[in-house]
Amino acid sequence: MLVLGIESASAEVGVALGGEDGVLASAQSSRDRRHAENLSPQIQFVCQQAEIELSEVGCIAVDIGPGLFTGLRVGLASAMALAHGLDVPMIGVSSLELGAFAAKHASGTILPCYDARRGEVFSARFTASGDGVDQLSDARVSTPEELADDLKTSGEEVLMVGDGGKRYHEIFSPLDNVAFAGAGLWYPSVRSLVELAYPRAIAGDTVAAVEIEPMYLRLPDAEINWKTRDGR
Amino acid sequence: MISASTTSPEETAQLATGLADLATPGDLLVLVGDLGAGKTAFSKAYGAALGVEETMTSPTFTIAREYEGRLTLHHLDVYRLEQMAEVLDLDLPGLLESGGVVLIEWGDAIIPMLPADYLEIRFTFGEGDDDREIALNLVGDRWESRTDAVAELAAGIGA
Repeated sequence: MLVLGIESASAEVGVALGGEDGVLASAQSSRDRRHAENLSPQIQFVCQQAEIELSEVGCIAVDIGPGLFTGLRVGLASAMALAHGLDVPMIGVSSLELGAFAAKHASGTILPCYDARRGEVFSARFTASGDGVDQLSDARVSTPEELADDLKTSGEEVLMVGDGGKRYHEIFSPLDNVAFAGAGLWYPSVRSLVELAYPRAIAGDTVAAVEIEPMYLRLPDAEINWKTRDGR
Repeated sequence: MISASTTSPEETAQLATGLADLATPGDLLVLVGDLGAGKTAFSKAYGAALGVEETMTSPTFTIAREYEGRLTLHHLDVYRLEQMAEVLDLDLPGLLESGGVVLIEWGDAIIPMLPADYLEIRFTFGEGDDDREIALNLVGDRWESRTDAVAELAAGIGA
């Protein structure tokens, strides 16, 4: 069973292909707003490098966010189209779980924290468990100040993973109980995605392409009040 | 709140040109006013001053158009949107953080979805056919720090 992973919910866009023997090939780039242009060539590239035909792929894994809107949608649309076309199942993994998974050797709480733009961050708490991670709290969107206040109050020792810790370093770094993972973990890793998804694919822990849903966290359900437009 | 009065489309264009000269990557301008109040005329003058050579057309039906000038200009019109969630499709944070400048016509309808910093420009009809009262509302640090420059522009209209 081969898994093709697509991660584009961050400033990066990446593709990896792997299976029983781990990741066979991967590609990643991080020039902003190049997700749509870079994704298809990356898929072609990793297939060539791994000497695999797309038709040999048995499962498509995708980062379902939360993340940056345009990239997230490009990744999901491409992944769903591929899964549909190849008639293979899918695995959706949150960007936060991917971030935590890449830091799964940490002993305390792992806190992925990604820059959500607009002065906010996405975060959730995880802890290492067996070969993976367990999620301790729901994914949330908050200002970095709110998150810092909560961390200060709880006093919990955390390893912060992700570009939120870079962008808002001056807010989090005064906290004694927060340590920062390095630059290698600023973005969710597509290699981790394949590594994480492979055992799930083998176990049949998959869904159909139509069941994959993006995780937005701040999707409003309000209608626009068009008193100006309709009242003229 | 800074007020300006204009007596012709040319004076509205003068204000737009002045604001375009102040433009920095990530600026968001929200244009408010009834049909014919000057939103599109303002946008065209703003684009021209930003160095856009292409003819700018109304984004009402396409919702978003992109032009290349000194900075990339994203000209948006949310008139046809019905749900706040649709605003997410525009990816405002992405447009602003990629170094562009964003103009949104009818943008006051989507204020809950706007970033913390923007300049609201409200056009209302004055007494004469070509008279317009223009209210400039500077929201957030990014704009508040430019209050003096904007006030100077507004005061210089018609001069």
